[in-house]
Amino acid sequence: MAGMSPSERRLQKELMSLVKEPPPGVTVHADLVEKNLLQWIINMEGASGTLYEGESFQLQFKFSNKYPFDSPEVTFVGSNIPVHPHVYSNGHICLSILTDDWSPALSVQAVCLSIVSMLSSCKEKKRPPDNAFYVKTCSKNPKKTKWWYHDDSV
Amino acid sequence: MGNCLKRSTTDDISLLRGSDSVRESSSDQLGPSPYQETLPIQAATPVYHPSPSVTRSVAQLTEEEQVKIAKRIGLIQHLPTGTYDGCKKARECVICMVEFLVGDAVRYLPCMHTYHMACIDDWLMRSLTCPSCMEPVDAALLTSYETN
Repeated sequence: MAGMSPSERRLQKELMSLVKEPPPGVTVHADLVEKNLLQWIINMEGASGTLYEGESFQLQFKFSNKYPFDSPEVTFVGSNIPVHPHVYSNGHICLSILTDDWSPALSVQAVCLSIVSMLSSCKEKKRPPDNAFYVKTCSKNPKKTKWWYHDDSV
Repeated sequence: MGNCLKRSTTDDISLLRGSDSVRESSSDQLGPSPYQETLPIQAATPVYHPSPSVTRSVAQLTEEEQVKIAKRIGLIQHLPTGTYDGCKKARECVICMVEFLVGDAVRYLPCMHTYHMACIDDWLMRSLTCPSCMEPVDAALLTSYETN
Protein backbone atom coordinates (compact mmCIF):
# COMPACT_ATOMS: atom_id res chain seq x y z
CA MET A 1 0.00 0.00 0.00
CA ALA A 2 3.06 2.23 -0.11
CA GLY A 3 2.86 5.26 -2.37
CA MET A 4 -0.93 5.44 -2.15
CA SER A 5 -2.85 8.55 -1.18
CA PRO A 6 -5.14 8.32 1.89
CA SER A 7 -8.19 8.07 -0.37
CA GLU A 8 -6.66 5.25 -2.42
CA ARG A 9 -5.67 3.41 0.73
CA ARG A 10 -9.21 3.63 2.04
CA LEU A 11 -10.72 2.53 -1.28
CA GLN A 12 -8.35 -0.44 -1.39
CA LYS A 13 -9.51 -1.47 2.10
CA GLU A 14 -13.15 -1.08 1.15
CA LEU A 15 -12.62 -3.13 -1.99
CA MET A 16 -11.04 -5.98 -0.03
CA SER A 17 -13.85 -6.10 2.51
CA LEU A 18 -16.54 -5.88 -0.19
CA VAL A 19 -14.96 -8.80 -2.06
CA LYS A 20 -14.59 -10.81 1.15
CA GLU A 21 -17.97 -10.10 2.77
CA PRO A 22 -20.36 -8.62 0.24
CA PRO A 23 -23.88 -7.68 1.42
CA PRO A 24 -26.59 -10.01 -0.01
CA GLY A 25 -27.16 -9.43 -3.72
CA VAL A 26 -24.15 -7.14 -4.13
CA THR A 27 -21.02 -8.02 -6.12
CA VAL A 28 -18.17 -5.80 -7.16
CA HIS A 29 -16.25 -6.14 -10.44
CA ALA A 30 -12.93 -6.36 -8.61
CA ASP A 31 -10.74 -6.80 -11.70
CA LEU A 32 -12.17 -3.61 -13.23
CA VAL A 33 -11.71 -1.70 -9.99
CA GLU A 34 -8.12 -2.80 -9.63
CA LYS A 35 -7.35 -1.08 -12.93
CA ASN A 36 -8.89 2.16 -11.73
CA LEU A 37 -9.61 2.53 -8.02
CA LEU A 38 -11.52 5.76 -8.58
CA GLN A 39 -14.28 4.16 -10.65
CA TRP A 40 -16.22 1.11 -9.52
CA ILE A 41 -18.93 -0.97 -11.14
CA ILE A 42 -21.17 -2.89 -8.76
CA ASN A 43 -23.81 -5.46 -9.57
CA MET A 44 -26.99 -5.38 -7.55
CA GLU A 45 -29.74 -7.99 -7.51
CA GLY A 46 -33.30 -7.00 -6.66
CA ALA A 47 -34.10 -8.52 -3.26
CA SER A 48 -36.50 -11.47 -3.22
CA GLY A 49 -40.01 -10.69 -2.10
CA THR A 50 -39.77 -7.13 -3.52
CA LEU A 51 -40.97 -5.54 -6.76
CA TYR A 52 -37.44 -5.93 -8.16
CA GLU A 53 -37.04 -9.66 -7.51
CA GLY A 54 -35.26 -11.35 -10.43
CA GLU A 55 -33.93 -8.07 -11.86
CA SER A 56 -30.29 -7.10 -11.82
CA PHE A 57 -28.82 -3.61 -11.96
CA GLN A 58 -25.43 -1.99 -12.33
CA LEU A 59 -24.24 0.86 -10.15
CA GLN A 60 -21.33 3.12 -11.02
CA PHE A 61 -19.33 4.79 -8.24
CA LYS A 62 -16.92 7.62 -9.08
CA PHE A 63 -14.61 8.90 -6.36
CA SER A 64 -12.60 12.11 -6.19
CA ASN A 65 -9.18 12.28 -4.55
CA LYS A 66 -10.95 13.95 -1.60
CA TYR A 67 -12.92 10.80 -0.77
CA PRO A 68 -14.17 10.12 1.93
CA PHE A 69 -14.55 13.84 2.66
CA ASP A 70 -16.36 14.22 -0.67
CA SER A 71 -19.23 11.86 -1.36
CA PRO A 72 -18.92 9.45 -4.29
CA GLU A 73 -20.90 10.13 -7.47
CA VAL A 74 -23.31 7.17 -7.68
CA THR A 75 -25.55 6.39 -10.65
CA PHE A 76 -27.29 3.40 -12.15
CA VAL A 77 -25.75 2.48 -15.51
CA GLY A 78 -26.33 -0.13 -18.18
CA SER A 79 -29.45 -1.40 -19.88
CA ASN A 80 -31.66 -1.88 -16.84
CA ILE A 81 -32.30 1.27 -14.77
CA PRO A 82 -34.74 0.43 -11.95
CA VAL A 83 -38.16 2.02 -12.32
CA HIS A 84 -38.50 3.73 -8.95
CA PRO A 85 -39.90 7.10 -7.77
CA HIS A 86 -36.38 8.24 -6.75
CA VAL A 87 -34.47 6.95 -9.76
CA TYR A 88 -34.45 8.98 -12.98
CA SER A 89 -34.35 7.19 -16.31
CA ASN A 90 -30.77 8.47 -16.88
CA GLY A 91 -29.66 6.58 -13.77
CA HIS A 92 -29.47 9.54 -11.37
CA ILE A 93 -30.60 8.70 -7.83
CA CYS A 94 -32.31 11.12 -5.45
CA LEU A 95 -30.86 9.96 -2.12
CA SER A 96 -29.77 12.43 0.56
CA ILE A 97 -26.74 10.46 1.81
CA LEU A 98 -25.18 10.95 -1.64
CA THR A 99 -25.04 14.72 -1.16
CA ASP A 100 -26.29 16.72 1.85
CA ASP A 101 -26.27 13.90 4.38
CA TRP A 102 -22.98 12.32 3.34
CA SER A 103 -20.57 11.45 6.15
CA PRO A 104 -17.01 10.10 5.86
CA ALA A 105 -18.10 7.26 8.16
CA LEU A 106 -20.27 5.97 5.31
CA SER A 107 -18.79 3.58 2.77
CA VAL A 108 -19.48 1.90 -0.55
CA GLN A 109 -21.11 -0.91 1.40
CA ALA A 110 -23.32 1.49 3.38
CA VAL A 111 -24.40 3.24 0.16
CA CYS A 112 -25.22 -0.13 -1.49
CA LEU A 113 -27.29 -1.21 1.51
CA SER A 114 -29.12 2.09 1.47
CA ILE A 115 -29.96 1.72 -2.22
CA VAL A 116 -31.07 -1.93 -1.79
CA SER A 117 -33.37 -0.81 1.01
CA MET A 118 -34.67 2.13 -1.04
CA LEU A 119 -35.60 -0.29 -3.83
CA SER A 120 -37.03 -2.87 -1.43
CA SER A 121 -39.46 -0.48 0.24
CA CYS A 122 -40.98 0.60 -3.08
CA LYS A 123 -44.70 -0.14 -3.42
CA GLU A 124 -45.31 0.94 -6.99
CA LYS A 125 -42.86 0.97 -9.87
CA LYS A 126 -42.95 4.42 -11.41
CA ARG A 127 -40.52 7.15 -12.46
CA PRO A 128 -40.22 10.43 -10.55
CA PRO A 129 -43.00 12.84 -11.60
CA ASP A 130 -40.49 15.30 -13.14
CA ASN A 131 -38.45 12.63 -14.95
CA ALA A 132 -38.80 13.96 -18.51
CA PHE A 133 -37.88 17.53 -17.56
CA TYR A 134 -35.02 16.52 -15.26
CA VAL A 135 -33.39 14.17 -17.74
CA LYS A 136 -33.52 16.86 -20.43
CA THR A 137 -32.07 19.64 -18.27
CA CYS A 138 -29.79 18.04 -15.67
CA SER A 139 -26.01 18.07 -15.44
CA LYS A 140 -24.16 14.87 -16.23
CA ASN A 141 -22.99 14.81 -12.63
CA PRO A 142 -25.88 14.16 -10.20
CA LYS A 143 -23.91 15.84 -7.43
CA LYS A 144 -24.45 19.15 -9.27
CA THR A 145 -28.22 18.76 -8.94
CA LYS A 146 -29.88 20.76 -6.19
CA TRP A 147 -31.97 17.90 -4.82
CA TRP A 148 -35.11 18.43 -2.78
CA TYR A 149 -35.45 15.56 -0.34
CA HIS A 150 -39.05 15.49 0.75
CA ASP A 151 -40.29 11.92 0.69
CA ASP A 152 -38.79 9.42 3.10
CA SER A 153 -41.44 6.74 2.65
CA VAL A 154 -39.77 4.91 -0.25
CA MET B 1 -1.35 9.08 8.01
CA GLY B 2 2.36 9.06 8.66
CA ASN B 3 2.63 12.76 9.16
CA CYS B 4 0.04 13.21 11.92
CA LEU B 5 2.67 14.30 14.39
CA LYS B 6 4.27 16.78 12.09
CA ARG B 7 0.92 18.40 11.48
CA SER B 8 -0.06 18.67 15.10
CA THR B 9 2.91 20.88 15.86
CA THR B 10 1.89 23.49 13.31
CA ASP B 11 -1.29 24.75 14.89
CA ASP B 12 -3.30 26.56 12.28
CA ILE B 13 -1.70 24.99 9.25
CA SER B 14 -3.00 21.62 10.42
CA LEU B 15 -6.51 22.89 9.82
CA LEU B 16 -5.87 24.48 6.50
CA ARG B 17 -5.39 21.38 4.49
CA GLY B 18 -6.99 20.02 1.38
CA SER B 19 -3.96 19.86 -0.84
CA ASP B 20 -2.32 17.24 1.36
CA SER B 21 -2.40 14.34 -1.01
CA VAL B 22 -0.80 16.51 -3.65
CA ARG B 23 1.93 17.59 -1.29
CA GLU B 24 2.62 14.07 -0.06
CA SER B 25 2.80 12.46 -3.45
CA SER B 26 4.81 15.21 -5.06
CA SER B 27 7.42 15.18 -2.32
CA ASP B 28 7.55 11.39 -2.46
CA GLN B 29 8.25 11.34 -6.13
CA LEU B 30 10.59 14.26 -6.38
CA GLY B 31 12.64 13.71 -3.26
CA PRO B 32 15.26 16.38 -2.72
CA SER B 33 15.25 18.58 -5.78
CA PRO B 34 16.19 22.11 -6.72
CA TYR B 35 12.47 22.95 -6.62
CA GLN B 36 12.10 21.88 -3.04
CA GLU B 37 12.03 25.38 -1.70
CA THR B 38 9.30 26.64 -3.95
CA LEU B 39 7.05 23.59 -3.62
CA PRO B 40 5.92 24.04 -0.01
CA ILE B 41 4.91 27.61 -0.76
CA GLN B 42 2.61 26.54 -3.56
CA ALA B 43 1.21 23.68 -1.53
CA ALA B 44 0.62 25.96 1.44
CA THR B 45 -1.98 28.04 -0.41
CA PRO B 46 -4.88 27.35 1.92
CA VAL B 47 -8.04 25.82 0.54
CA TYR B 48 -11.28 26.18 2.47
CA HIS B 49 -14.74 24.64 2.45
CA PRO B 50 -17.34 27.24 3.49
CA SER B 51 -19.89 24.45 3.02
CA PRO B 52 -19.22 20.74 2.57
CA SER B 53 -19.14 20.57 -1.21
CA VAL B 54 -17.64 24.01 -1.87
CA THR B 55 -13.88 24.39 -2.26
CA ARG B 56 -12.26 27.80 -2.52
CA SER B 57 -8.89 29.38 -2.05
CA VAL B 58 -8.55 32.09 0.55
CA ALA B 59 -8.64 34.87 -2.05
CA GLN B 60 -12.05 33.75 -3.28
CA LEU B 61 -13.79 33.83 0.10
CA THR B 62 -16.37 36.45 0.93
CA GLU B 63 -15.98 38.35 4.18
CA GLU B 64 -18.88 36.42 5.66
CA GLU B 65 -17.26 33.12 4.79
CA GLN B 66 -13.95 34.24 6.26
CA VAL B 67 -15.67 35.01 9.57
CA LYS B 68 -17.46 31.66 9.48
CA ILE B 69 -14.21 29.80 8.87
CA ALA B 70 -12.30 31.74 11.53
CA LYS B 71 -15.02 30.89 14.07
CA ARG B 72 -14.89 27.29 13.01
CA ILE B 73 -11.10 27.07 13.45
CA GLY B 74 -11.50 28.54 16.94
CA LEU B 75 -14.20 26.04 17.79
CA ILE B 76 -12.23 23.05 16.53
CA GLN B 77 -9.28 24.10 18.65
CA HIS B 78 -11.48 23.91 21.74
CA LEU B 79 -12.14 20.22 21.18
CA PRO B 80 -9.93 18.02 23.36
CA THR B 81 -6.99 16.20 21.79
CA GLY B 82 -4.68 13.50 23.03
CA THR B 83 -2.60 10.57 21.98
CA TYR B 84 -4.08 7.13 21.52
CA ASP B 85 -3.33 5.00 24.57
CA GLY B 86 -4.49 1.62 23.33
CA CYS B 87 -8.07 2.07 24.60
CA LYS B 88 -10.16 -0.82 23.34
CA LYS B 89 -13.36 1.17 22.76
CA ALA B 90 -12.06 2.85 19.64
CA ARG B 91 -9.87 0.60 17.54
CA GLU B 92 -10.09 2.17 14.13
CA CYS B 93 -10.50 5.68 12.76
CA VAL B 94 -13.65 5.33 10.65
CA ILE B 95 -12.55 8.15 8.36
CA CYS B 96 -9.30 6.63 7.06
CA MET B 97 -10.27 3.07 8.16
CA VAL B 98 -6.82 2.58 9.67
CA GLU B 99 -6.38 1.10 13.14
CA PHE B 100 -5.18 3.49 15.82
CA LEU B 101 -1.60 2.99 16.88
CA VAL B 102 -0.44 3.88 20.37
CA GLY B 103 0.87 7.44 20.16
CA ASP B 104 -1.34 8.58 17.26
CA ALA B 105 -2.65 12.12 17.65
CA VAL B 106 -6.42 11.87 18.17
CA ARG B 107 -9.30 14.25 18.79
CA TYR B 108 -12.31 13.51 20.99
CA LEU B 109 -15.71 14.91 20.01
CA PRO B 110 -18.33 15.81 22.67
CA CYS B 111 -20.29 12.67 21.72
CA MET B 112 -17.18 10.68 22.73
CA HIS B 113 -16.37 9.48 19.23
CA THR B 114 -12.62 9.47 18.55
CA TYR B 115 -10.75 10.08 15.29
CA HIS B 116 -7.25 10.81 14.08
CA MET B 117 -6.79 14.52 14.55
CA ALA B 118 -5.77 15.09 10.92
CA CYS B 119 -8.79 13.12 9.65
CA ILE B 120 -11.47 14.74 11.79
CA ASP B 121 -10.11 18.27 11.42
CA ASP B 122 -10.34 17.91 7.65
CA TRP B 123 -14.00 16.93 8.00
CA LEU B 124 -14.92 19.52 10.65
CA MET B 125 -13.67 22.26 8.34
CA ARG B 126 -16.44 21.14 5.98
CA SER B 127 -19.18 20.18 8.41
CA LEU B 128 -19.46 20.54 12.18
CA THR B 129 -21.07 17.15 12.71
CA CYS B 130 -19.75 13.88 14.05
CA PRO B 131 -19.34 11.49 11.09
CA SER B 132 -20.50 8.54 13.20
CA CYS B 133 -23.59 9.85 14.98
CA MET B 134 -24.29 13.10 13.08
CA GLU B 135 -24.39 14.97 16.40
CA PRO B 136 -23.77 18.70 15.77
CA VAL B 137 -20.41 19.35 17.40
CA ASP B 138 -20.99 23.02 18.17
CA ALA B 139 -24.29 22.50 20.00
CA ALA B 140 -22.82 19.67 22.07
CA LEU B 141 -19.78 21.76 22.92
CA LEU B 142 -21.96 24.63 24.18
CA THR B 143 -24.01 22.23 26.29
CA SER B 144 -20.89 20.75 27.86
CA TYR B 145 -19.71 24.24 28.82
CA GLU B 146 -23.04 25.02 30.47
CA THR B 147 -23.22 21.83 32.49
CA ASN B 148 -19.59 21.86 33.66
